[in-house]
Formats: sequence, C-alpha cells, structure tokens
Amino acid sequence: MAVIETKGLTKYFGEVKAVDGIDLSIQEGELMVILGPSGCGKTTLMRMIAGLEKPTGGEVMIAGENVTELPPRARPIAMVFQSYALYPHMTVFNNIAFPLKARGGFSKEELKEKVEWAASILGIERLLARKPRELSGGERQRVALSRALAKEPGVLLLDEPLSNLDAKLRASARDELQRFQRRLGITTIFVTHDQIEALGMGDRIVVMSGGKIVQVGTPRDVYHDSSNVFVAQFLGSPGMNILEMDDFLVGFRPEQFTLKTHETESDGQKTFSFSVTRVEYLGADQLIYGNIEGYEREYHVVAKFSSESTSIVEANHTYEFVVNRDQLRYFEKQAGSRIEPRSF
Amino acid sequence: MQDNAAVDTSSRFSTKYIADNEKFLGWAFLLPAVLYILLLVGVPFVLAIAFSLADVTVGDTTLNFVGLQNFARIMQTPEFWQSLRNTFGFAITAQIITIILANILAVLLSSDFRGKWFALVLIMLPWSTPIALGAIGWLWLLDSKFSPIDWVLRYFSLLGGEGALLGVPKNLYYLGKAQLAQASIIMVYVWRMLPLSAVILLAGLTSIPQDLLDQAEVDGSSFWRTLFQIKLPLILPIMIIAILFSFIYTVGDMAIVFILTRGGPVYYTHVLPTWAYIKGIEGGALAEGAAIALFIFPVLLAAAILILRYSRRTEVT
Repeated sequence: MAVIETKGLTKYFGEVKAVDGIDLSIQEGELMVILGPSGCGKTTLMRMIAGLEKPTGGEVMIAGENVTELPPRARPIAMVFQSYALYPHMTVFNNIAFPLKARGGFSKEELKEKVEWAASILGIERLLARKPRELSGGERQRVALSRALAKEPGVLLLDEPLSNLDAKLRASARDELQRFQRRLGITTIFVTHDQIEALGMGDRIVVMSGGKIVQVGTPRDVYHDSSNVFVAQFLGSPGMNILEMDDFLVGFRPEQFTLKTHETESDGQKTFSFSVTRVEYLGADQLIYGNIEGYEREYHVVAKFSSESTSIVEANHTYEFVVNRDQLRYFEKQAGSRIEPRSF
Repeated sequence: MQDNAAVDTSSRFSTKYIADNEKFLGWAFLLPAVLYILLLVGVPFVLAIAFSLADVTVGDTTLNFVGLQNFARIMQTPEFWQSLRNTFGFAITAQIITIILANILAVLLSSDFRGKWFALVLIMLPWSTPIALGAIGWLWLLDSKFSPIDWVLRYFSLLGGEGALLGVPKNLYYLGKAQLAQASIIMVYVWRMLPLSAVILLAGLTSIPQDLLDQAEVDGSSFWRTLFQIKLPLILPIMIIAILFSFIYTVGDMAIVFILTRGGPVYYTHVLPTWAYIKGIEGGALAEGAAIALFIFPVLLAAAILILRYSRRTEVT
C-alpha cells in the first residue's frame, strides 16, 4: 500500500517552477531517496509533503488521506533538518519531549518513558541532561532523530541529515541510519544531493532535475540502466563518459573502460584508441584522463582503475582501451532519453 | 614572513608603511573618542564627585571638603525621596509596559504584510523626533484646558456632564493631579522607548533560524507555544539588552519631566535629574545638586555592566 502519494504536485516561486508536476508513490516501510543537484526542487518537494510549503497545484496523500490543505501538525510526519534544528535553549530531554508536549495528553511519567524509549533507540540516554551546544555533530544528529521518533510518526522525512557530518563519520552514520530504518520499518523519505548516500541507502531512488522526476528505480536500475543521459552523468564518480555522435549519444562508465589485453580480448568489445594525458592517484583508485582518437572530433573521457590493477598506464602514451558492447548505453541527442543500440 | 619583516624595519625609519602598523592605527583611531570621553564625561564626573563632598555653591566655588554632609542633608528632604521613588517607579513601570508592547509589535512586524515598511516608518517616528519636540507635542495633547484627548472624550460623552464615566468637570487636568501626571509621564516614556525596543526585538526575532521555526511547526507546536517556548526564550538575551538600554535612558532623562511638569504638581513628578537641576543650578546649591545626581550612578553602572555582559552572550550563541 502506498503510504505517500503525490499527484501533479507543483510549486512556483513567482515565475520559477521549483517543482513541476510530481507524481510519486512511496510504499509502506520503504526508504525512498530523492536525489538531485542543488536547485532541482527536491527540498521543496519534501517541504510540501511535510506541509511547510503550500503547493501551487496538485495533491499530497498520506496514508490514503488528502492532506494537501492540512498544516504540518495535522500530518503524521516527523522531519529532521540538515542543521538538525535542535532548540538551543532546551536540554536534550526537553528537545525530545517537545513534540510530545505539543501534542499534549501525556502524564509526566508517560512523557519520561517515551523520551527514554526514543533516546534508547539511538543510544543517547546519557546525553539527556545536556544542552545541544555540548554535543558533537554525530550526537546532535542522534538527538534530532530521537526527537523525530518520539511521537512515533507514520513517515520520517530526512533533509540531507548527513551533510553536516565530517566524511569519516558520514560513512558510519549512513550505516547506522539504514539499520535503524530497517529495524523500525518506518517509511522514510531521504533527500540528498550525494549519490553515494542515495545508492548506498535507498530502496528506491527518485532522480530529479529542473523540478521534474527524471527516473525512479532501485539503485541498480538507475546506475546501470539510466533512462536518461542526465541520470547517467549525474550518478557515478566520475559520471558516465558520453561520446557525441552525429545523431545520437553513446556512453560508458569509467570503471568499464579498460586496457585491452590478450586475456580479455573478445568480439563483444568496442576498441578505442586512448591517448592518456594525466593519471590521478586517489588511494584506492586511480583516474586516467585522456582523449579518444580516430573520430572526427576529440572526446575527453576518464577511465577508473583500481590502484591494485596490474595494468600500468602512463601519461603521454596512447593505448588500446575497450568497453564491452553490452555496457555501452545509447541516448537520444536532443531529449537525452535512452534508445536502442546503434552502430558507430 | 619576509614582507612583514621589511615593513617592520622600514616603518621605524619612514612613514611610508605607517598605515600598516596596527598599534599606531589603533591609537590614532581611538584617540578622538578617548579625548571626548575624558574631557566631556570624565572631567565633569570627577568634578561632580568632588562637588558632592564639598561645600560649593554657585556663588562660591572654592572646594572645602565636608565629607558626606551633602548626602545627609538631601536625604532629610521629602523632595529627594519622592524623586528617588519616581525615578525608579517611572523607569520600571515604563519598562514593563514597553517590553510587553514591544514584543507584540515585534511579533506583528516579523510577519509579512502589505505596507509593512510604512508601518515601520510610523513606529520609528517617536524615536526619530528630537525628544524636546516630542515632549512639547505631548504638552499640548495633555493641556489642562485645550487637550484634544479631552475633546474626544467629551465628544463621546465620556467626560463632562451629568453621569459621564470620567467625571463631571470638563477637563481631566492630566498634568495637574499627582497620579495622573505620573501616569502621563510614564506613558510618554513608553511612547518614546517603544520604537527602539520593538526594533531591537524585531532584529532578534528575524535572527532566529528559519529551520528552528519550521522544526517547531513540524513538531506540532501551536503559535503560542512557539512564541513562549521557542521565540521568546531565544531572544531573551536581546530582550534584556533592550530593557537595560531603555532603562538607562529613562533613568538618566530629564527632558520629558522638565518639559511636561517641571516636577509638579508640587514635587510629585520630580525625578533625580530634574531635582538635581532645580536644586543645583536653579537653586544654586551645586554641592547638593551633585550629590543628588550621583545617586543614580551605581544603578547606571550596574545596568551598563549587565548590558556588556549580555551583549557578549548574544555574540556567542
């Protein structure tokens, strides 16, 4: 059953179409990631689902009920902001208790019990007496999550909750967040511009661009079967290499662009003459920048090797590189949508 | 590093890099302010202390040390005690009314509506008018015979005539009766201080991150809960600064009382500054005037220290 549905959801800010006709359906217990570059309308979409932004057009349904006209507090949602938005003058206990007090009808003991329960899920019982400024980034995030959970919402909305953490903490927070979502089985919408988070955490990913949905699918779908050249280039680090042919585009992923060797040689491969200009060493990986030669124009592309790779490539040399034909992706030149394979 | 070294050595011999020398610049920029404070605040202040401990009068300014005699003498007069009571009574009552009204205004002004800038201009007017002009305006409004306020009250049959709510006489004589005069002065203080307090609080309210307010909304908080549990506690340090500023201003002010009532009727609306002026300048008893004026000093000092402390706190959070 769809817990959240949007129908033709639209938001204009003056002349600007921030969100342009979004039809989306999110299932019970699902972790749905909304991914897109900044300014694509993903945060506005989430704020409309939360009720913080009034749509210009369209509907929001939560648990079968049309909530489009309802204020946030009438919706069964909780939200965690990028800044965590902890109330700085309240202790952690009072922060977590705030949504419960706002709802009312709890005795002091019930309140204490619920706050302690919410704190225990994130393992922050020992922080209850502290003020937000005495907490580290990771602890603040947990407090914000506890506060969101305290009122046992039907839907959890997370707006870039990891981007304020440092890189090292982010990986473990990602893992923790996903395990905790699975354990509680709470329907979650997760907005991010970080494709690693999106691919790593989402049950499904909605890729947005220019206020519209470009593709919805599992991480594997959107990465390997990108329906659009925008998705193909946005996902992956670096994104897909795109070669512009006369009347279509062809692309392949950097990690699928490999040095031709006798062992790997086969008919199902497309061979390119690749003149390397620079090798970038990135620890685990290395990126090889260069140009594909032999076509009317020169194409700048990137290959990605593991640093452990035995293939040695050096700058200012030309090599034969290959891509498996079934890994080549073809796109329309104008609209950028996926098309059947062509020969070139 | 090398550049710095070059600047240091050459500045010793030439004035070419003198503007790069922070020590020199600091003193150069501070000097006018320091001189101003020393000459126009420091000297009179020391003089006032000296006067208050001596027997100077307008006619004889030789300093003969008399200890605390002046203080003892002024404390035996009922005018002094009335002035002291009024100074704090007026200031505290005005502060309470001001801060309540300022909060309401600031909350109203922090929402968006058409003609907001116009409302802001209107609200700032009392603060931008010279205080003497404003006080004279009020003097006319509160006139014993021709008060427009009384006209309006009479027009609605609230005043003058049999069975009128506010009494049979044709006028209320705002500045002629002790309690009404005191209330009138408090009202003018509020009128004067409200714009500044409202704008300070408005600045505080607009500085609350939108995220926090959105969070409160998502958390299900009502308007009043958000106001009293989120907004007001967050602007509390700023609110205290607004209160202290307007408190200092009110306690030290003599223009409003002097123009409206000159301390009357009898001495019921005197505050320490007006009483010090009447006694010291008009009455010629410089020493006693200085002693009266010095009475507010510890209070103002404490308020100033609190302001500095709280303004530092608002910087941190």
